[in-house]
Amino acid sequence: MPGSIRPVSVVWVVLVCLLFCSRLLSVGAAPICTNAQAGCHALSLANLFDRVIQHSARMHGISNDLHSEFEQYFLPSKNQIGRVSRNCHTSTIFTPNGKENAQRMARQELTEVILKLLVAWRDPLWHFHQSIAHHHDFNNFSANKALEMSDMVHELRKGVEKVAEKMQMMGIISNSVSSLASPEALLPSDSAEWRLMKDYDLLYCFRRDSNKVQNYLKILKCRIVPEHGC
Amino acid sequence: MKKVLEVILLLLLLVVTHAKGTRYSPPGKPALTRCRSPEKETFTCWWEPGSDGGLPTTYALYYRKESSDTVFECPDYRTAGENSCFFNKNDTSIWVNYNITVVATNALGRTFSDPVDIDVVYIVKPNPPEQVAVTVMEDKGWPFIRVSWEPPHKADTRSGWITLIYEIRVKLEEENDWEMHLAGQQKMFNIFSLRSGGKYLVQVRCKPDHGYWSEWSPSSYVKVPDYFHREKSVWILITVFCAFIFLILTWLLHMNSRSLKHFLLPPVPGPKIKGFDKQLLKNGKSEEVFSALVATDFPPKSSNYEDLLVEYLEVYIPEEQELMLEKSMDLDVGCLKCEGSASDSDSGRGSCDSHTLLMHKCDGVKEEEERQAKEAHGPGYWECGLSNKQPHLLHPQAQAQRQLQARSDDNISSIGRKQTPAGLHSPARRSTEYVEVERVNEEDMVLLQPVSGRCGDVEGYPEMPYGEDYSKVKGVDMDNMLLLQREVREETENCDTSSTVTTTQKPAACIHSAMPVEGEMVLGVNGYVDTATVCTPPTY
Repeated sequence: MPGSIRPVSVVWVVLVCLLFCSRLLSVGAAPICTNAQAGCHALSLANLFDRVIQHSARMHGISNDLHSEFEQYFLPSKNQIGRVSRNCHTSTIFTPNGKENAQRMARQELTEVILKLLVAWRDPLWHFHQSIAHHHDFNNFSANKALEMSDMVHELRKGVEKVAEKMQMMGIISNSVSSLASPEALLPSDSAEWRLMKDYDLLYCFRRDSNKVQNYLKILKCRIVPEHGC
Repeated sequence: MKKVLEVILLLLLLVVTHAKGTRYSPPGKPALTRCRSPEKETFTCWWEPGSDGGLPTTYALYYRKESSDTVFECPDYRTAGENSCFFNKNDTSIWVNYNITVVATNALGRTFSDPVDIDVVYIVKPNPPEQVAVTVMEDKGWPFIRVSWEPPHKADTRSGWITLIYEIRVKLEEENDWEMHLAGQQKMFNIFSLRSGGKYLVQVRCKPDHGYWSEWSPSSYVKVPDYFHREKSVWILITVFCAFIFLILTWLLHMNSRSLKHFLLPPVPGPKIKGFDKQLLKNGKSEEVFSALVATDFPPKSSNYEDLLVEYLEVYIPEEQELMLEKSMDLDVGCLKCEGSASDSDSGRGSCDSHTLLMHKCDGVKEEEERQAKEAHGPGYWECGLSNKQPHLLHPQAQAQRQLQARSDDNISSIGRKQTPAGLHSPARRSTEYVEVERVNEEDMVLLQPVSGRCGDVEGYPEMPYGEDYSKVKGVDMDNMLLLQREVREETENCDTSSTVTTTQKPAACIHSAMPVEGEMVLGVNGYVDTATVCTPPTY
C-alpha cells in the first residue's frame, strides 16, 4: 500500500501546484498603481507629465504678470530689466543654460534639478507674499497672486515627486531620486541669502526659475513619453 | 619729434577741413534697435549708427554676461548683415542676462551707446511655419478647407525645447477683411462656411510661449469648387411650385372678381315698389305715376316690413286745407312738410291729414324721381297712405312747389344717395316715410305731415326715425287739445313749433313763431302720434 500512495500524493501535489501557479500568473498581469491604494485608477506617465507641465506654465504666467506689474509701477526706467543687485539665491544650483546642455543631462539629474529649484523657492515665496500683503502700495490682487504662486510651488513639487515615483516604478530612473524626500536637508546654506534680496529681485529670479522648471519638464516629457504634443 | 609730427598732422587736418568747409566730429551715439532669437539657441542684435562725424567710423559691440565682469566682443559681425552682431550657439546662454553696448569709433573719438539688458528667453521670434498645405475636402456635401503646416525647421519643438502656438488667417481674394483662427499647438485646422466658387488666401504664423509672433507665411491659394446643395434645389422647386399656384389663384380671383365682390360687399338692394313700372317715371306723367303708386293690396297683409309702423289711413282733405297747404311752403332745410290751415281747429279729425301732406311730398318725390330716374336710381320707398282725392291737390304754388321740390330733392337725393353707394348705408335700411300728427283741425281731423330728416341735415342722409320716436302725449286739456311732449334737439337752430306741439317742451331754445315752418321739422323728427290720440289745434 505505501508504494501506491506515494505516486498518488505526488500527482496531487503537482495538480495543486499547477492550479496555484496558474492563479499566480494571472495575478501577475494586473497593472500597478502609482499610489499604493487598492482600487485606484492608474494615470499614465504622459498624463502626469501633462498635468505638471500645465501647472508649471500657469505658475510661470503668474510670476510674469507680477513682474510686469512691478516693472510698471516701481521701475519706470526702461533698461532696468535684469538689474539685479545680487545674484539669485538659486544660482548655486547647477542648471543647464542651453538646449544641448539640457539634453545632455541625464533624466535623473534633470529631475533632481527641477526638484531642487522647487524646494529652494518654497520659503522665499512665502515671505514674499507676506511682505506684499503688508505693503500698502500693493493691492489685494497682487497679494493674492503672490499667495497663489507660493501655493503653486508647493503643489508643483508634489506633482513632480509623483512623476519621479512613477518613473522610478517604471524603471526609467534609478531610485536615487527618492533621497529628495527630505528637501530641507538639501539647501541649508541658502536659508539666509534670499532674505537679503529685495522684493523685485526675488520676483525677477523666480520668474526665470519658473521658466526653467517649465522648460526642463517639457524636455523630460518629450524625451520619455514623446507620443503626444512633442 | 614724433609728437611734433602728430601735432603738425592734426593742424594740417584742421586746416584742410576748414579750407574745405566741412567739420569733423566724433561719431554720434549709436543705438541698439533690437535683438532677436529665431529658435532660442542663437540670437542677433542690430543697431542704428549715429552720425559718423564725417570720418570713417567703426562700430564694435561689447557684452557682459550676468554676474561676470569679463567684457567680450561680438564674435560675428557679418552673418546677419550690416550693423549687426550674431551670437552663435556657443556664445549664447539662455536664462543669462546679457549687458550689451555698441561703441562707435572714428579718428576723433569714440561714443558709447546706452547699454541694453536682454535675456534670450524673452526675445524669441520664430520663422514662419513651413510647408503650408491647403486642400478642399468634403463633409456630407459641404466643402471645407483643411490647412496643415510644419513648424519652422530651425525651431526644435520635437525635443520640447520650444513650444509654439499657431494662428491662421483666411480671406477671399477680392476682399480686405481677414478671418483669424487660433489653432493652439495643433498643426492642422479646418475652415468651414465657405462661399461656393470662391478663391481663398490662407496664411499661418506662430509664436513661442513668451515671445513674439513670427511673420505670416506666404499666401496659399485655394479655390472652392461650385457646389449646389441638394437642399437648395428642393427649396427652389418649392418656390416655383408656390409661385405657380399663386398665379393660378390670382387668375381665378380675377375671373370671379365680380361674384367675389358681390359676396364680400353685397350691393345695397334698391328699393322696389311692387308692381311699379319704372317706365312711368321716365314718361313723366305724374298722374300715372301716382296712380301706379297706389297699390290695391297695399299694405300687404302678410308683410314683414318691420318699419311699417303707420297704419294705412284714408285721409280726406277739404278745399280750404288744400289752400293752406299751398301757402305754407317755406320749408326748412331738408324737411318736407305740409302745413295745415291756421284756422283749422283740428278737433275731432282723424289721425292725419296725410293726404295733402303726402301729396306734396309725393309730388316732390315724383319730380325728384323723374330726375333720379335718369340716374337709374330707384324711387324712394314711401309709405304713403293716399286717398283717391289726390288729384285735387296737385296744384301748389309754383314757388312753393319748387321749394318743396327743392327740399324734397334734397331729401330724396339724400335718400337716393343712400341707395347708390353700396355699403355706405346698411342695406336693410329703406327710406321710410312716416307721417306724424301736425295738428288736428276743427273738424276733428288730424293733419299729418311726413316725418323727414333732422333739421339742417342736407348733406348727409336724413336719419329716418325708426319708430322709436314717438311723440308722447302729455295730456289732453280742456279744449280737447292734445298736449304733446317734445324734446328739443340741439341741431335745430330754431325749433319753432307750430301747429300741434304745445306747452310741454323744454322751452329754452324753442320759440313759437307765426311761421310754422321750422317747427314742423322738429316735430317731424320727434316722431308721429298714434292714431288713437286726439290732435291739438295749432297754437298761433
